[in-house]
Amino acid sequence: MCVSPCKRICVSSFHAFPDMTCQLSRRPRPSNENSLPPRSTDHNKLIDTPQNLDSGQLETRESNSKSDLSAVSMSDICLLLQMDDIDAMFSDLLGEMDLLTQSLEQETAAPTSLPTTTTTTTNNNKEVNFSIFTDLNESLHELEDTDLDALMADLVADLNATEEKLAAEIQGLKVPSPPPPDLPPPPKGLSAHHPASPASPAGSTGSNVSTPASSSASSPLPPPPPQSTKPTKEEIEAQMKADKIKLALEKLKEAKVKKLVVKVLLNDGSSKTLMVDERQNVREVLDNLFEKTHCDCNVDWSLCETNPELQLERAFEDHENLVEPLLAWTRDSENKILFKERGEKYEVFKNPQTFYLWKKDNKALKAIKDKDKEILIKENFCGTSAIVPDLEAVLHLKEDGKKSWRQRLFQLRASGIYYVPKGKTKSSRDLVCFLQFDNVNVYYGKDFKGKYKAPTDFCFLLKHPQIQKDSQYIKYLCCDDACTMNLWVTGIRIAKYGASLYENFKTAEKRAAVSSVWTNRSAPSCSNPSTPSPTIKVSTTFVHFLFMMRYLLSSLSPQDVGGVPPPPPPPPPLPSTSTFPPSPPEPVFAPPPPPLAAKSSPKPAFPQQHPPPNFPLPPPPAMDFPPPPPLPPIADHSEAPPDFLPPPPPSFGSLSPLPPLPGKSLPPPPPPCFRRMDQSLPPPPPDPGFLPPPPPPPAPTAAPSAAVRPSGSVRKMPPPPPKRTTPTLPAGGGGGGGGEGGGGDFMSELMKAMQKKRSVP
Amino acid sequence: MCVSPALFSFPGVCLLHSVRPVSFAPRSLSLSSSRSPRMAGWDLSVTVEDLGPDAPPVTLSVTSDLHVGGVILRLVEKTQIKRDWSDHAIWWEQKQRWLLRTSWTLEKYGIHADARLLYMPQHKPLKLGLPNGITLRLHACFSSPVFQTLMGICRMLNIRHPEELSLLRPLEEKKKKKDKDSAEEIYDLTEVPRSSGTLITLHSLSRPDMHTYEEWLSRPCLYNGMPAHFADSPKMEAIYKMLSVTQPPPAPEVVAKQYRPASVVDKAHINGRWLDSSRCLIQQGIRENDRLWLRFKYFAFYDIEPKYDVVRLTQLYEQARWSILLEDIDCTEEEMMLFGALQYHISKVSQSEPKLLSSSAAMDDLESALQSLEVKMDGESSSASEMLHVTICFRPKKLTLKGYKQYWFKFQDTSISYYKSKEESIGEPIQQINLRGCEVAPDVNMAAQKFLIRLLIPAPEGMNEVYLRCENEQQYAQWMAACRLASKGKSLADSSFQSEIKSIHSFLAMQRTNPSSHGNTPANDESINTHSLVSPRYHKKYKTKQLTPRILDAYQNVAQLSLTDALTRFLQIWQALPDFGLSYITFLTNRFKGSRKDEVLGIAPNRLIRIDLGVGDVVKTWRYNNMKQWNVNWDIRQMAIEFEGNVNIAFSCVTADCKIVHEFIGGYIFMSTRSREKSDTLNEELFHKLTGGHEAL
Repeated sequence: MCVSPCKRICVSSFHAFPDMTCQLSRRPRPSNENSLPPRSTDHNKLIDTPQNLDSGQLETRESNSKSDLSAVSMSDICLLLQMDDIDAMFSDLLGEMDLLTQSLEQETAAPTSLPTTTTTTTNNNKEVNFSIFTDLNESLHELEDTDLDALMADLVADLNATEEKLAAEIQGLKVPSPPPPDLPPPPKGLSAHHPASPASPAGSTGSNVSTPASSSASSPLPPPPPQSTKPTKEEIEAQMKADKIKLALEKLKEAKVKKLVVKVLLNDGSSKTLMVDERQNVREVLDNLFEKTHCDCNVDWSLCETNPELQLERAFEDHENLVEPLLAWTRDSENKILFKERGEKYEVFKNPQTFYLWKKDNKALKAIKDKDKEILIKENFCGTSAIVPDLEAVLHLKEDGKKSWRQRLFQLRASGIYYVPKGKTKSSRDLVCFLQFDNVNVYYGKDFKGKYKAPTDFCFLLKHPQIQKDSQYIKYLCCDDACTMNLWVTGIRIAKYGASLYENFKTAEKRAAVSSVWTNRSAPSCSNPSTPSPTIKVSTTFVHFLFMMRYLLSSLSPQDVGGVPPPPPPPPPLPSTSTFPPSPPEPVFAPPPPPLAAKSSPKPAFPQQHPPPNFPLPPPPAMDFPPPPPLPPIADHSEAPPDFLPPPPPSFGSLSPLPPLPGKSLPPPPPPCFRRMDQSLPPPPPDPGFLPPPPPPPAPTAAPSAAVRPSGSVRKMPPPPPKRTTPTLPAGGGGGGGGEGGGGDFMSELMKAMQKKRSVP
Repeated sequence: MCVSPALFSFPGVCLLHSVRPVSFAPRSLSLSSSRSPRMAGWDLSVTVEDLGPDAPPVTLSVTSDLHVGGVILRLVEKTQIKRDWSDHAIWWEQKQRWLLRTSWTLEKYGIHADARLLYMPQHKPLKLGLPNGITLRLHACFSSPVFQTLMGICRMLNIRHPEELSLLRPLEEKKKKKDKDSAEEIYDLTEVPRSSGTLITLHSLSRPDMHTYEEWLSRPCLYNGMPAHFADSPKMEAIYKMLSVTQPPPAPEVVAKQYRPASVVDKAHINGRWLDSSRCLIQQGIRENDRLWLRFKYFAFYDIEPKYDVVRLTQLYEQARWSILLEDIDCTEEEMMLFGALQYHISKVSQSEPKLLSSSAAMDDLESALQSLEVKMDGESSSASEMLHVTICFRPKKLTLKGYKQYWFKFQDTSISYYKSKEESIGEPIQQINLRGCEVAPDVNMAAQKFLIRLLIPAPEGMNEVYLRCENEQQYAQWMAACRLASKGKSLADSSFQSEIKSIHSFLAMQRTNPSSHGNTPANDESINTHSLVSPRYHKKYKTKQLTPRILDAYQNVAQLSLTDALTRFLQIWQALPDFGLSYITFLTNRFKGSRKDEVLGIAPNRLIRIDLGVGDVVKTWRYNNMKQWNVNWDIRQMAIEFEGNVNIAFSCVTADCKIVHEFIGGYIFMSTRSREKSDTLNEELFHKLTGGHEAL
């Protein structure tokens, strides 16, 4: 159930962005549709509010901040940057941001251990992110500009957030109990089956989303910096300045990050949904999939893009960014992304002799020793540049725009594919360039015999990645046998990608080695996971990217909604809590850092932190305990529906919870955090770090709520009750029903939620 | 004695005869004969070079048990000249050997009264032709094996990994000498040793016992980015600059005049000229002030580190460049254009780019980040990112019969939008085209004042071809630059915009230059003749104005590279050529003895190939790692190589001594043994083991 809503949402959001193509889930779910209508209306309202808030935020910021930033326009800031004042300005801002991040960190760290806590933390994070970037939402299409805006909003939002957090925390303390009861209902309404799953996905997605922002913020601004920054003001060290500017620039960059939600259909008919960030390369996405599918992680696993219209297929290289090629898909595209094993992906490193000594007879090749293979690899990939196997073959070329195929003698060189013109020798100077690789990718063709009357079915083609339909600019080549085809396709890849192929292979190998060890260990530990894992292994994934959002957007939707919803779900279903552990860890830490690290780290954290959670909120703690076994949750996750859950759930969940529990929702999140902090202090040794922060934490808790608003409201909403952390809660309630319908306008929904929150106070 | 096979096996590298090229083991024959005149004194006459060529030899009364050191001592006393004699040693002319072991007695060396001995410095000036075509005069050691001499030279020139280079006898240039010799500029490095201790360096290299102390003296610690001995004077600095900065492209005539191998056989001849690494210069007939070429011999370049390898990288580039220009290595037309573009870029950048080694990477990052931020902000406040409002003609497709239509164009970020007129530019554009990922090609004819920009814009349905016609050069340069940046996803606000415009202007300027004047101003920055960037074949094939756009085309992909990156790129493309690294030798196989048909052996870093001269095809490939052993029969000058799987080949070399082939194979195997852990120290002994061969005799 949960899954379907997610899809819905994605779809709708997708429509908002014309550039994106999305595929709807094949099986529409009735329940979702019901919820849809209310949401859509909400969206519109929501949209307006954030803007108002923005302005308000700015004003507040003026009063609060010591520097004159608030009064300064964007262009002025630029000027300022060059002046000495810059130091003071930045240090001010950063100092305050530090406070905020500090508090956030503490919260996040604590929460990870406990499901309930995690949800709250994620909420906070999400909120912060959300707030930072809300204004960006207005211009979804203009990804390039608005850097400054983002920066400003970012800084301002953070400041506001901290202030508001404090207030919110105070409130939260006062009204701790209400949230838990309210929360559970929404999840139930959504789906009886996967109450847990939605929560888990939400948590994970939220974490994913938040990671970039939170990680960046946290790393640069560890607790110590804040204090130091203020003193340094006067000192004005160049280095400090540089760091700060860099930090600011990083934030600017992050504000521009595009994200796609990709729906993954598995071979067996199931699917996984991933949130893919513009900066993620295929390797990272694969790692994510490994995590979700529990496959054996061998080096052959690839992400492939298929284009049914052109009948072609290509495995993405591990170092490629996934988002970029996906953006080239047309709106009505039926393209799919497959997650499957492809032996030829790294065949060249397993049997280099077949590529570099292809002229020798098979006998000699089979007799080749491992040592000789190593030497071959070293020779060809470890020099100053990768050496392209010198291939020469008669291939059939489909002539431009014609149906006929013509034979030519082709040669592969590092600089491109050449052919020998009639009546000329094979010497280099006589070769005619057929094609160079700068702007084209190489694809395998499927069933070209039928489609283009090719002499054989062993065809490959070269085209610009943006070309999605038949065109004279696509070069079709046909080989006599599969062997030749693989030789050429691999040769072209070597020519195009060079040594990075080898780098990819080494990384993949390491990953495979590590994972095998890890899986061995993990498998026995959890009984539950075992069952799910098998199914997963079978699965090949189809990824449909449902929508693309800015970093902010994506983060927002999950945060708003997701943040709130997660808490509720955990209480009802024990399994859901379990899911949390796995997913959150990854996101919280660095997303890229492969799953392994993430997994390992999260697990240890659990035991320690669990004790504290018990104290705070009766419902959540209880729930938490079950999860402790980290693996089982994963397994649950992995099971069919959960796949979607990660990314969409957050958004979905958030939506649903928001509307229903506007007023109450707010308090709940803060309280849990708070309690944890206090109680956690004694029991968890690792947490001690938190203890000191406790003071800041209150601020942060408030901050999340504040943050949410600020982003949305940064500009216009001046006074609106910053304390209203609740916004997340209300959002969740509202979102629950209409999350899918709202897909079209996340923003509007968010806005709506925001408004509600305000009204509540 | 006569048939002494040097037997090696790889990778074990075992050697039947231990080779000590430096050692001068007494021959048994001379030992026995010298025993009788034992205590009797006799006269030994030694010619002292420093007394002048006409001075009579100095005669000493000696006994056979006097050691060489004593001879030298008395010799010096007798000459009455006060100077530093430390570099001097005695050369035994008949036996072609140096008497370097001063503790050995005359008897041990087997010297009799009839010996013609010459007392002279071990280091003598040598004219060294560098890969960049410039001649350097420097002191080289004539007494140690060429390999060590080379190490000394490379140390002086600050070139790491001397094992990859060797000395080559130059081609005879008798015809040219008349007009050239007088004009040729020779950079003089001969004064270096005396003043700075580089001599000591060379010295220490030739004498293993003097190592430790001088070694740190000679270690290339850098002053102002150059070795200390180059920082002494402006003159020396100029020499270092010559070494470390690429030369401007040569005039096309110069290239055309140079000898170009026309065939593989021609290429094979050059390899007969390599000096023997295990014997000293003087033993190979090299005399003072002779000319030699310094070249990279083994095409396995190890551990190139631009920071330390400025000279090495530059000279390697020069050698690569000349091998391309002289068609020593074949490449396709597209590759030639890219090489041309890179040469153009490198020459431009190297002339303008001051070497900034100091600023830290972090600060650079920050600076560029700040810069882009500034620009961004400028852009946002003053809309710099759409500053180009120009009327341009536009034609969507070439085949359309309709000509160009005028529209009002606006460039924003990476897209162009066009409107019917300027007035309408506030509203919705007729069309907006995102140029990201598109192909941009120039179509320019200065004479006809045609300034076309051809855009191939990818779309799901294929590529859209669009032509923009600009009104003048200025507009063209701006729009061209903007389109190029946009195709790479950069906006106009990018800092490289201005430099891009500049480079387009300069390319246009190249097209403008009158072809008749090109020979006279080859080095002038603004008027580089594109003919000087490609091999002479293309001089005939294309006129300058045809060539320039093609090079410009290739240039746009490399225009943003830094100097080092451009050099590296050039070398990478060079190394990616199929024929790269092949040194050819003509040989005769035993099997076809009767036929007397020459075949060509190509020696590559990892393999040997046999080439059929008739077709030019590779007939057979043998890889070194399948090689079990190789033998050289020094007597009949024949090589026999055994590979795994019972493959044996035996051949005698025609265009080169078998020692050269032997050294090539051994040298490449040596190169492959280098690894990062031990890269600091050159395993000289192993090198000699692998390449020395017959010196064991």
